[in-house]
Amino acid sequence: MGREPFEAVMAAHHAEIYRYLRRLTFRSAEAEDLSQETFLRAFRAYRALPPDANVRAWLFAIATNLFRNSLRAAKRRRAAYDGAKGRGREDDGDGPDGVARFNEARVAVEAVIDALPTKQRAAFVMRKVHELPYDEIAKSLHCSVDAARAHVFQAFRKIRHSLEDAQLPAAEGSA
Amino acid sequence: MSPTMSSCRAIQPDLVATATGDAVPGAEARVRAHVAACAPCRQELERYRSIDRIVGDIRRAPVGGDHADIVRGDLEWRLAELRRRAVTARVWSSPLGPILIARSEQGVVLVEYLDSARGLEASRALRRAGVEVLEDGNETEAFYQQILEYLAGERTRLAWPLDYRLAASDFHREVLQATATLPYGAVVSYARLAREIGRPTATRAVAQALRHNPLPIVVPCHRVIGGTGALTGYAGDKLALKERLLSLEGVPVVRARRDRRISRDAMYVVADHDREYCVPTCGSLSTLPLWRLTLFATRDRAESAGLAPCTSCRPDLHPLSA
Repeated sequence: MGREPFEAVMAAHHAEIYRYLRRLTFRSAEAEDLSQETFLRAFRAYRALPPDANVRAWLFAIATNLFRNSLRAAKRRRAAYDGAKGRGREDDGDGPDGVARFNEARVAVEAVIDALPTKQRAAFVMRKVHELPYDEIAKSLHCSVDAARAHVFQAFRKIRHSLEDAQLPAAEGSA
Repeated sequence: MSPTMSSCRAIQPDLVATATGDAVPGAEARVRAHVAACAPCRQELERYRSIDRIVGDIRRAPVGGDHADIVRGDLEWRLAELRRRAVTARVWSSPLGPILIARSEQGVVLVEYLDSARGLEASRALRRAGVEVLEDGNETEAFYQQILEYLAGERTRLAWPLDYRLAASDFHREVLQATATLPYGAVVSYARLAREIGRPTATRAVAQALRHNPLPIVVPCHRVIGGTGALTGYAGDKLALKERLLSLEGVPVVRARRDRRISRDAMYVVADHDREYCVPTCGSLSTLPLWRLTLFATRDRAESAGLAPCTSCRPDLHPLSA
């Protein structure tokens, strides 16, 4: 029982997990549902969590699992309805095409992140937005640390190839 | 050198990691050596650094449509709901076989003898109860330890907080609460218990309520017996367990041809609500029906219940032979 109360866990991590899911899902209603489900599940399992477990990484793992399950379910639903009609998710319509100036590079990068395959996107957001260590990312994605690194590397490569050189400001420092 | 050459391809993961602050040991040195001789890769390194800065901006920017506070308010409400319904449960092994203990925030909700150690899913009571069952950390361990002490004869009281939410009705709850006050080493009949709660004609209903006792051992329904002194029934078909629990408390049980019954002649007796206990042959006690009596296994047990030795039969001077 020496563990901190679940309320303290919520206070410490809810906003971050919600924002993580918000970045993964695009639709705020879905992020709301998934973040609630994450914490309800966590609450059910919290007592049985080993005392030395990293609670933050554990919550990310639950959220990532739920997100991936929800994608699979959505995919099945879509497949049932309209076959191979392509990606049916909500988008803000800002593809990288019209973006030419480098002050718009951020929008372009976000669009690329949004279009990444699930594991790459989750790994990239966990690493670069929430700054989780690779071993925790690997646990969340049920993969090796090397695979987690490879996901982030692939994400960077895709971002790089989607941008024109002109969109990338020259470095201030040296190599 | 062109970046499509094999050495440039090979260095790419290290190059990206170096530019984005993720380099493994040794990678930075490899990248430095490579870009010193390769201008295109030097440019690539800078481009990845630019991308990393953009990603840093994204990290610092607020997320659009952020309703974290509202979502958390909803969540807190749902959690409070869940907490009210929830019990934590665990199956322990005991000398009586696998035993499940469940508790809510208010107290112990369920003690259940299981026929197999398959875990929580073996519990019929939990399935029927419609409660939210949570994995138990160590909330029930202290209770389990006390049961072990009790079964080893090292403890005579289980002063647990109890939650009677699994009682089937208010009447059942009343029966359970009255049963919970029966002292260690004492037995009464179902009829006596019915009278105690002011329902003298409800003997069968009392027996039914105890048949569905969700809290055996701690609500000691094993101390309640039939009007003839027969043990009658326990937890479905576990009459042997009832005998075992009574024997543990020193209550003499004899096996008759077709049943097991307490040995009334070998127990101390209190009639109605007397404050004194007697040997069973005192006055007209041996002719009184069981529904008027409380029987005690030993003098110690009677005196622990606050009773004094009878001044005419003097059980303190002439105790029953063991």
